[in-house]
Amino acid sequence: MTFRTPTELGLLRTVLIADDESSIRLLVHATIESDDYTVVEASDGAQAWTLAQELKPSLVLLDVQMPGQSGLEVLRSIKADPDLRATRVILLTSKAQERDIEVGLIAGADFYLTKPFSPLDLLTRVEEALEL
Amino acid sequence: MGASRSASGSKDRPRRRGWSVRGYVVLFMVVLIAVAAIAGVAVRTLGQQDARQSAAADASFAARVAAAEIAGDLLLLQQTTAGLAVNPQLPAILAAPKGSCTLTFAGASPFSAGHLDIVKSDGSVICSSQAIAGGAVYGAASWLPAALLGPVTAAPFLDPATGEISAVVAAPVAGGAGLVAAIVALGPVGPNLAATLGGARQLEFLVTTNSDETVLARSLQPSRWVGKPLAGTAFAGSARAVERPGLDGRTRLYDWSRVGSTTWLVYAGADEAAALTAADLSSNRELAIILGGAGIMLVVIFVVYRRIVDPIRRLSLVIRSSTVDGAVSAVDTIGASEVTDLAQDFARLMATVKSELVERLNSEQEAVVSERNYRTLFEGHPQPMWLYDVDTFAFLEVNDSACDRYGYTRKEFMAMTICDVQQPLDVPKFLELQAMPMPTSDRTGPWRHLLKDGSTIQVLITSHALIFGDHHARFVLAEDLTESQHLELELVESHARAEHSAELARAKDEMVTVVSHELRTPLASIVGFAELLATREVTAAQRKDYLAVMLQEGRRLSALVNDFLDLRRLEGGHLSMRFAPSDIKALIRRAVDLFSVPGGTPIEMRVQDDLPLVRVDGDSMFRVIANLLSNARKYSPLDGSISIGARVVNGMVEVAVQDKGLGIPAGALTHLFGKFFRVETADRGSIGGTGLGLAICKNIVESHGGKIGARSEGLGKGSRFYFTVPIARAQAQAGEVLIVEDDSGFANLVEAELEARGLTSMWAADAETAEHLVTKARAVVLDLLLPGLSGEGFLHHLRATRGPGIPVVVVTLKDLGPAENLSLQKAGVAAVLRKGPGTAAAAANLLVQCLASELVAI
Repeated sequence: MTFRTPTELGLLRTVLIADDESSIRLLVHATIESDDYTVVEASDGAQAWTLAQELKPSLVLLDVQMPGQSGLEVLRSIKADPDLRATRVILLTSKAQERDIEVGLIAGADFYLTKPFSPLDLLTRVEEALEL
Repeated sequence: MGASRSASGSKDRPRRRGWSVRGYVVLFMVVLIAVAAIAGVAVRTLGQQDARQSAAADASFAARVAAAEIAGDLLLLQQTTAGLAVNPQLPAILAAPKGSCTLTFAGASPFSAGHLDIVKSDGSVICSSQAIAGGAVYGAASWLPAALLGPVTAAPFLDPATGEISAVVAAPVAGGAGLVAAIVALGPVGPNLAATLGGARQLEFLVTTNSDETVLARSLQPSRWVGKPLAGTAFAGSARAVERPGLDGRTRLYDWSRVGSTTWLVYAGADEAAALTAADLSSNRELAIILGGAGIMLVVIFVVYRRIVDPIRRLSLVIRSSTVDGAVSAVDTIGASEVTDLAQDFARLMATVKSELVERLNSEQEAVVSERNYRTLFEGHPQPMWLYDVDTFAFLEVNDSACDRYGYTRKEFMAMTICDVQQPLDVPKFLELQAMPMPTSDRTGPWRHLLKDGSTIQVLITSHALIFGDHHARFVLAEDLTESQHLELELVESHARAEHSAELARAKDEMVTVVSHELRTPLASIVGFAELLATREVTAAQRKDYLAVMLQEGRRLSALVNDFLDLRRLEGGHLSMRFAPSDIKALIRRAVDLFSVPGGTPIEMRVQDDLPLVRVDGDSMFRVIANLLSNARKYSPLDGSISIGARVVNGMVEVAVQDKGLGIPAGALTHLFGKFFRVETADRGSIGGTGLGLAICKNIVESHGGKIGARSEGLGKGSRFYFTVPIARAQAQAGEVLIVEDDSGFANLVEAELEARGLTSMWAADAETAEHLVTKARAVVLDLLLPGLSGEGFLHHLRATRGPGIPVVVVTLKDLGPAENLSLQKAGVAAVLRKGPGTAAAAANLLVQCLASELVAI
């Protein structure tokens, strides 16, 4: 987990990565690393929800299958919170979880990527979502 | 009923019969009569004695009173005469002529009659209280001279004036001129005393002069006795005894008293016969009371006897004649209520006993009949049936059909257990079923059963729990599946399969989802970083990081695929296992060595001594132990202590791995052995694993017929993983040739070649197991490259324990130098063969030769 100083957080937009696999977090982080926004990582659903409320990120990259609170639950919480109206959500799923994708899109996810995904694709989607 | 039966029923002591109640009653009556008789005699005797004493006392009292009265009267007379004698007129009166004065005599009891006289010295009377003839009337009286000199009291004397026997009391007048005399008649004295003192007892009074010479007075017949001498009478002859005959011959009880102023004696006598008669009269009354009481008691006793004893005797007679119904009527008319009740209670008791006896007899008869029926059914049933002990699995009973079908005699069956007829592959499943709580009745199968001729049949087992003698047993019907039945069964099974297929499909879909997720995650990392490396300019440090992640995830993917495939094979039963007796201690030691970190906390081994060999596939079992130790290491941060133990528990060997690491949350324990299950808590996020290890362990342990489990007090409290494996059977540890070989395929080959040459064999996958088995072997086929203890090490042990006598053929892949070859030869190795095609047959041939020459040598 990488934290930036609060002042920086205030100045910059935040992207939150939520995945229980450290290797995926590392990959996503490395892919979207940018000076235009701050990247924050969460290793499970509960932590992701806490950080989302605290940091009000512009974008959340959410793994669907996480222990405890699942990605879909975090998604619903974000969509139900008026403070997080502006927050965009991209789901990361395994291809087999087609039903989860459907459910996620209905719940208000902006986009989804299936594992294994192309980092370049991911970067494109992130930039689109942040309207850079 | 008088017989007292000893309740304790001591057999050796002679039984003592008490008296009958009738005996006691008769005794009581006799005693009662005797007591009454004694009381009667006593009353009578004592009454007479009392009457005698009382009469004597009365006589004594009367004698004293009479003496006192006589003395008192005499005193009065003396005073009167003395008083008159000193009268100053008396000399003048004496000088005057006769009749010049007047005197009065006042008689008093007992002296009621008499007269007072003034007498001159010549005996003539001057003056008298009665008319007296003139002249010297008392001139001849003997008392006169003395009386002229002093007072005189004398008796008896015949009063010339009255002609009666009298007593005289006289006092002289001064100067000797005359005297005053009171003369009293003695005749009325006796009757007077009797009248005043005689009372109801009619006492006889007798007054005598001193020394009983003359009777002075007597109350009876005074005229006959007064003045007469006593001498010669029976009274005088009886020497003043209390009981003595009176003057008239009647026996009386006498007492006497002396009259104070004289020498007279007064006797009072009570009539003895009269006293006794009176006493008898009163004692007769008392006797009547005693006899009446005794009589009443006799009657009462008789009635009680009739009311109690008679009914009891009759009841007893009735009981003896065993006609229970008569018991009540035998006593109900005359018996006491308690006896009637007793008879009724007895009748009821007998009725109950009778009906219970009848019932029991009937049920026993039924039981005998039904037992006979069941036995006939059992013996003659066309299908094999048997009973076995659920604790030992030993056969308890088999029917003829079982003997026919299986080919064993009944005697052979009795020496076998159920496991002996099971196809060996079915045994673990059977043991597992037996270990679970079994329903009273169930139907399982098909099972493969071995016949004596070695062929296999398929049977459906219907069993029912029952108690047989003191065994917990199951009653078994074995349905032999003939061809047609087999088809039928398959039909049923295919239906069941169809029913399960949907469920299986669902499970499979789920599995695919899970597996695809598990595979895609590492794949995503590998592909992603590869793409980054391919498309971006990265720093050297970044490249290194990315490649490291790719390598790690690639390995993870590989392990995952391997584990998953192994698990599939295990689940499908495709992973071939070769079970053989193994020294589990050696397996544990090798696994411990593998996970021991130099400088780290050593893994503690607590293996029970003399642990029996277990029946396992060595490689698989090593994998299980290694997996558990690996987990213990992984989940014990800070180098926490780990221990592994093995001991015998309930006929199995239990291996347990204990750590003091992160522990397992209670909810996770049940899922622990499922596929891809991993406990996800923050503190173990970085601990890697495929999530398949424990699932694989579970499969391996269960295919050995064992159980696996885990326990944990909770997070942070460490965990304990344990599993059980069966103990190797003795048969598997008996063979002529011991094959020491870690490659099961090659061992199989050698075994087949030996068998073709008529030699039995046993297999040890490592040298440690071989050390246990070699004690029974005649020859050894030995590999040198073994896990744990080497072949050379084993050879050393063999020669040290069993000497040079056992032929050894070494078969190995190892390239041996000349020095090694030499040392093997020195160790007495018959031949060293290099593993390759045909080596197994060559080794077998060599051993046959060795054993044959050994026979010749003998």
